[in-house]
Amino acid sequence: MEVLDKLLNVALLVATLRTTAPILLVGLGGSFTTKAGIFNIGLEGQMLVGAFFAVLGSIWSGSAFVGILCGVAAALVFALIFALLVVTFRANEVVVGLALNILAGGMTISLMKAVFGTRGSIVGHGIVGLPKVQIPWARELLGSWAPLVSGYTPLVYVAFIAVPLLVLFYRRTRLGLYIRVVGEKPEAAEALGISIARVRYIASLLCGLLAGLAGAHLSLGYITMFTENMSSGRGFMAVAILIFSNGDPLRVLGGCLLFGFADAFSLRLQTFGFPSYLILAVPYVVALVALFALSYRSRPRIVRETLESMRKLLSVEPGRADVDNNPPR
Amino acid sequence: MAVELIGITKRFGAFVANDDVSIAVRRGEIHAIIGENGAGKTTLMNVLFGLLQPDQGAIRVGGKDMVMADPAAAIAAGLGMVHQHFKLVPSLSVAENVFLGMEIRRNGLIDHAAQIEKTRELSERFGLRVDPTERVSLLSVGIEQRIEILKVLARGARIIILDEPTAVLTPQESRELFQTLRGFVAGGMTVIFISHHLEEVMEVSDTVTVLRHGKHVATRPTAELTKADLVRMMVGRDVSFERRSREPTAGDVVLDVRNLWARDDRRLPALRDASFTVRAGEIVGIAGVAGNGQTELAEVLTGLRPASHGSAILKGRDLTTQSPAQIREAGLAHVPGDRMVRGVDGGASISANLLMGRQSRAPWSRNGILDWQVAASQAVDMIKRFDIRARGPQDTVKRLSGGNIQKVVLAREFTNDADFLLIDQPTRGVDIGAQESIHDEIMRQRAAGRAVLVISVQLDELLTLADRILVMFNGRIMGEVDGDGADGERIGMMMAGVEAGEAKGGAIQ
Amino acid sequence: MSDRWRAVYGQLLAVLFALAIGAVIILMVDESPVKVFMTLLRGAFGDQAKIAGTLLQTTPILICGVAACIGLRGGMFNVGIEGQLFLGGFAAAWVGFDLPLPAGIHMLVGLVVATLAGAAWVSIPAFFRARYNTNEVVSTILSNYVAVLLTSYFTIFLFKRPGGWSETPPILPTAYLPELFSFSRLNWGLVIGLVLALLVAWFFRYTGKGYSISMVGSAPKFAEYGGINVKRQGFLVLLASGAVGGLAGGIETLGVHHRFMEGFAPGFGFDGLIAALLANGSPIGTIVTALFFGALRSGSLLLEVETTASREIITVIQALIILSVSAQVLMKRRGDSTAGERRWKF
Repeated sequence: MEVLDKLLNVALLVATLRTTAPILLVGLGGSFTTKAGIFNIGLEGQMLVGAFFAVLGSIWSGSAFVGILCGVAAALVFALIFALLVVTFRANEVVVGLALNILAGGMTISLMKAVFGTRGSIVGHGIVGLPKVQIPWARELLGSWAPLVSGYTPLVYVAFIAVPLLVLFYRRTRLGLYIRVVGEKPEAAEALGISIARVRYIASLLCGLLAGLAGAHLSLGYITMFTENMSSGRGFMAVAILIFSNGDPLRVLGGCLLFGFADAFSLRLQTFGFPSYLILAVPYVVALVALFALSYRSRPRIVRETLESMRKLLSVEPGRADVDNNPPR
Repeated sequence: MAVELIGITKRFGAFVANDDVSIAVRRGEIHAIIGENGAGKTTLMNVLFGLLQPDQGAIRVGGKDMVMADPAAAIAAGLGMVHQHFKLVPSLSVAENVFLGMEIRRNGLIDHAAQIEKTRELSERFGLRVDPTERVSLLSVGIEQRIEILKVLARGARIIILDEPTAVLTPQESRELFQTLRGFVAGGMTVIFISHHLEEVMEVSDTVTVLRHGKHVATRPTAELTKADLVRMMVGRDVSFERRSREPTAGDVVLDVRNLWARDDRRLPALRDASFTVRAGEIVGIAGVAGNGQTELAEVLTGLRPASHGSAILKGRDLTTQSPAQIREAGLAHVPGDRMVRGVDGGASISANLLMGRQSRAPWSRNGILDWQVAASQAVDMIKRFDIRARGPQDTVKRLSGGNIQKVVLAREFTNDADFLLIDQPTRGVDIGAQESIHDEIMRQRAAGRAVLVISVQLDELLTLADRILVMFNGRIMGEVDGDGADGERIGMMMAGVEAGEAKGGAIQ
Repeated sequence: MSDRWRAVYGQLLAVLFALAIGAVIILMVDESPVKVFMTLLRGAFGDQAKIAGTLLQTTPILICGVAACIGLRGGMFNVGIEGQLFLGGFAAAWVGFDLPLPAGIHMLVGLVVATLAGAAWVSIPAFFRARYNTNEVVSTILSNYVAVLLTSYFTIFLFKRPGGWSETPPILPTAYLPELFSFSRLNWGLVIGLVLALLVAWFFRYTGKGYSISMVGSAPKFAEYGGINVKRQGFLVLLASGAVGGLAGGIETLGVHHRFMEGFAPGFGFDGLIAALLANGSPIGTIVTALFFGALRSGSLLLEVETTASREIITVIQALIILSVSAQVLMKRRGDSTAGERRWKF
């Protein structure tokens, strides 16, 4: 029907992929710390400073790419502070993560006022956004489906390409292996001379890298501006995804697509006159429902005995699996 | 000389774990290091292997002075350590675990095929059968140990250190291990192993070093010593493995366990069809190598784990359907095996710890309000009665020694007026002096008419205390033996899985 | 008790360190740290009205802090206090104008409903945390966003005053929380907060239930072994924490704003959590830290007017303080921790 056609079409899929990108980037970034056995709730803050400094960098240099670098640098600084406090000073990772988020919020607003003299948002001022990338053969090969693969800003492509790269990373590279070992059985790493601290620092920095890219995408991608608290909870949604995906890149992709879709779809609904506040709440509600639903079903298994430093996030619901040597019924 | 430790001193705060210890290990020998709990054996080996840095002293390997800054340095020097608690990564394969830290790479990526091939080679060369592709999470403890040894061999170790290698093995597996070790030294390697298992030390080692309270007591060829000699050196005085004298008591059945089944955390059956009784005034011992279902049994009886089938009736109430609170109310007291996690709150005071389970009962609390005066004075009483070495009721529990912490637990549990006492590892991590007083207390509870179930991996302890001994293997009760005149050999066989009927003297299949 | 004093001393050092860094940052935005701090002081304590203003800001921070303390003692991180605050404030406003009752009773009912609203809001994350171990940090944070949006929605679409402002109609005077002084909106909420802090502290120290909950927080496996129903206590703790958060919102509505509006009382939930963390989970300590943060907030209003620094500088300083404190006292693992601090274990 026409309504359905209006609702679900290529444009929606394109919008889905577009909105998935930032949360995918930050989610994949979080997979490094998750697999390394650290519960990093500071993703939100890293994204936010990434967004802010990307804008600053872009204005200052006149180039979007320099902007991205600045955004990443800022996120890396936050990631470094996180690692320093959590790994070296052995501080509580939730407290540090939350504090860094608060720091990011306060800092960006303060700097906004200091540098631009306003609050609220920064628009114009010579912000250079990211260009759209057109894939040459798309039109010919895909016709009206072309926008599905062509015309995104570069970071969207980076986000999706990162998924298989990360799968390869974890399975076939030494660093990826070490990150997994450090998270799953730190004693093993220690006994073999692998520096747990060093691996965790690297994981944290890698996380900052991707979170910074996510932030840069937010402020330089499709909307070229910075607003107060721009990340608006996407970092936390990523944490939720990481909880039930356990940092596995493919599962993270699945979770992010779900939210990207919920986000894009709900924006669609707005054009149908649904109250905007409720629409805006949809992604968060979806995240919550997924968190609750998947906690219920997932099993403790290896993860339980391993991720000591991460909160016990999985259920203890007994299963129905049948093993030999069963008692008489 | 393969390894020399010269004047090693290691302190942890005020506690001296190793006090000027010097040991020389010859190449090609099997050198055992023995001592009771807290003697400093593991600390010393951790120093040798670079996991800990000594405050004083030197290490020489092959005559050359070395500084073991970390395990990497030790490995480079040709040392390899197989820890008591395996450090394998469950989600990785055998080959991945063996090559962890020294991965074979091709074009920057890990070459899994080459690692699998190399692992297979090693396994065949040294006679340690493993499947390189298998995931570690699915393997048994005995095979895990083989992987740990392969890890060490893969790194070219010529000197192998094993920490309590037989603690989790059956007698049969231990024998296989010793064969492997003999093969190693025949090939020119050196083996050092830590043990508190005198039989094994006598059987397989060439030289034995005794440590006591952090100090080096003696190093001698094993052939020159008897078990009694070793015990004397370990403890400093003769210790009788004597059975406690007792009045025959045994009244009514207090605990009646029937066809009890339970699963472990991996969802595999850990307790199979257990049935037994415990009477008032008797001590029933549960013997067996750690990990054969004893822990699960204790957890089921105390409501910390659900049973998958069967019943356990305590004075008319089926424990399998009750919560820990209800079970305590029914008259069960529990001294847990995992003392620091289950038995106490290390960061709290002795008074606070003694309050657990009583916080809503008079006179400790009235109308829900706690009376800390009462708690403190009761604590003072307990400290005196149970001979707890502490500065006072306000002392933080984690500052006490292992034996004293255990005494706090006993003080709490034995004064509950419970009819049934479940004691899991009564003297783990407790030195011999305190062990005796704890055994005294347990005998006193027996004399007072309580039903006591003692689970212990130290068979000697059960031989001392128990009226009857049940042997567990692989989750089943293999057989029951009378405490009086029990045949250690026969029990050992049951611990290895030989059925009670066949256990008499025959060869193990 | 020298352990405890040592911990306090450590906290103080950390705070000073953070302030020093804050001073550096202030320099970087081209302001004089001395001027900033003096302005803050004046803004917080300059005259009677300003002191009352400080206490006014302190009240919700204190109550939210107590809510956080309750959670922390039970081993829970209730980061959703912000959302519970909003729900409570909204519920109180609704009762305030839609449910005419005699004076006094009206106010009490409003507060009770606010409390219940807060508890109800946290009940779902609490349930899943207790039963299925679902991480409550993430679930409560996400529910904050939903709470803010939901209450805004209700305000605008159900109770909007004709003509534009997104706020509920003013509540009836019978629901007002009486003021303490004539020159300020400072009201009995402060007294409620202080009494609550004392009550909660007493509860944890001197009751059997409080002992049980403390054990659940600091040694959960020991608590389970001792017969305490850890899951149930965890659930109740979160409920209580959420209830107090709701109460804070109710007080803000009935005592201060006399209505609920979009952007109602922002940030108090987080400030409360930070105050509780700085006080190491002690409700009495939270009185002090809440006052400190209340002063900062109050002072920052003057800051915004008299200097070029924005009031978010306060947020930055607060964050620095927590980071600084976390580095030396809030140890993640027990064991090698120094003095008698609480161990926040997961």
